[in-house]
Amino acid sequence: MPEYIEKYYTLKDLWKSVKKLPSDRKYLAGGTDLVISLSCGNDKSSVWLDISDIDRLKEIKEDGKNIFIGAAVKISELESNPLIKKWASALSECVKYYASPSIRNTATLGGNYANASPCADGVLALAALRAKVMLNLYDKRRVVDILSIVKGPKKIDLKKDELIEGFIVSKEERKSIFMKMMHRKRFGIAKAGLCMCYKLEKGKLRDVSISLSSVAPSVVRAKKTEEYLEGKNPSKAQTKACQLIREEISPLTDIRSTSDYRMRIVSVFLSRALCSI
Amino acid sequence: MKKKELSLDKDGKFDISFVLNAKELKVKISGDETLLELIRRLGYKGTKKGCDTGDCGSCTVIVNKKATLSCIIPAFLVDGCEVTTIEGIGSISNPHPIQEAFVEAGAVQCGYCVPGMIMSTKALLDENGSPSDEEIKHALDGNLCRCTGYVKQIEAVNIASKKIKK
Ligand SMILES: Cc1cc2nc3c(=O)[nH]c(=O)nc-3n(C[C@H](O)[C@H](O)[C@H](O)COP(=O)(O)OP(=O)(O)OC[C@H]3O[C@@H](n4cnc5c(N)ncnc54)[C@H](O)[C@@H]3O)c2cc1C
Ligand code: FES
Ligand code: FES
Repeated sequence: MPEYIEKYYTLKDLWKSVKKLPSDRKYLAGGTDLVISLSCGNDKSSVWLDISDIDRLKEIKEDGKNIFIGAAVKISELESNPLIKKWASALSECVKYYASPSIRNTATLGGNYANASPCADGVLALAALRAKVMLNLYDKRRVVDILSIVKGPKKIDLKKDELIEGFIVSKEERKSIFMKMMHRKRFGIAKAGLCMCYKLEKGKLRDVSISLSSVAPSVVRAKKTEEYLEGKNPSKAQTKACQLIREEISPLTDIRSTSDYRMRIVSVFLSRALCSI
Repeated sequence: MKKKELSLDKDGKFDISFVLNAKELKVKISGDETLLELIRRLGYKGTKKGCDTGDCGSCTVIVNKKATLSCIIPAFLVDGCEVTTIEGIGSISNPHPIQEAFVEAGAVQCGYCVPGMIMSTKALLDENGSPSDEEIKHALDGNLCRCTGYVKQIEAVNIASKKIKK
């Protein structure tokens, strides 16, 4: 149980005081993961730093080239925000499959990323969007590729106190398709998921990126399949692409699904995606 | 500076203040207390605990106009917020149109899920007075019911939406 909670409204205040706090400190955004860790006895930190109201972390804004989505943006906001719908529609689409409205009103995109679950829907969309993550440590920023610091469930290469400030998605006119197989329709943790972003020029696929969830220790990209699809006609490339994508993954069998079923689902998803283009 | 700090007092408790069903409250809470535990401790037992892990929706309340699962939100996060529970919606002698609609549609059997369903419906109808069946399904997605079979709730929300518009 945390002994106290510090609530912040600006990054400046956070960096001013954070180093003075006891070292077993932890950021808190929506709390949907943290509270469950606490009730399972897995969270032993003595201070929680509530960052959910830091203005910068709640921003969604654009400049000439990119859009910026703050880490404390709630999942429910991704559904209707016009900038996200226009430039990062994979994120708006993932909301349809993301838990229940009441979870979406609480959970944040930054928390979804920090949790680094192999089935995280927000991460699946960000990976297909080829987003970058902006990290901030004592007011020094670094920007890295979205999957480059994700190492496995709950394992993410962040330095002590390093804060996820937000995500950067470049403004590209790409379409997106999001698919997720769950135990219950439209609710719950993915048995497998696929997100694809692409352009279609004169009937040919361009600039394809495909991400997959729940088939590896973290969300992954299907790079060989992406390369194969470049410049191809979607329906003609279907058979080979579906075979390729199965060769790219080696999912586990666990309580949610079997390895074989996951392989099949991923290839069925890709085939449906290519048929729908 | 707007920063505020919630610190433990000598008994190991925090002080928070929030509005519960239109009443301003100042309460002492412990750091690991969830909003669900707090509101039930304060005597508002209409809000039910089903799973305690965010899966069933029976603990749904409204926090700052949004449907929220009270079992997975730490109580201190509602410091300064406005919270509504089923007791703030209507009573037996003076039911809310949504409550009447659930009874009329036969969407209540054992009743355990109903407070949560009604709170999700209230949040939906406050935002969108005439939802489509798809929008209703989307809004009630996280509310499980072991008894009724989910058709009657959709009917109930449609009836409620008409009653409220009258
Ligand atoms: C019932 C239920 C259903 C769910 N369904 C889904 C689903 O369908 N799809 C899905 O993808 N997920 C799902 N989740 C998982 C969960 O909602 C998400 O992972 C959520 O987005 C976490 O965000 P949060 O703001 O609640 O994180 P918190 O619980 O506040 O934080 C989680 C972790 O991230 C760290 N953290 C948070 N923000 C930052 C930051 N800005 N910088 C650095 N570290 C940070 C915290 O220290 C903590 O360790 C579900 C969870 C529940 C309880
Ligand atoms: S008790 Fe909160 S969702 Fe089940
Ligand atoms: S009426 Fe019994 S659980 Fe819904």
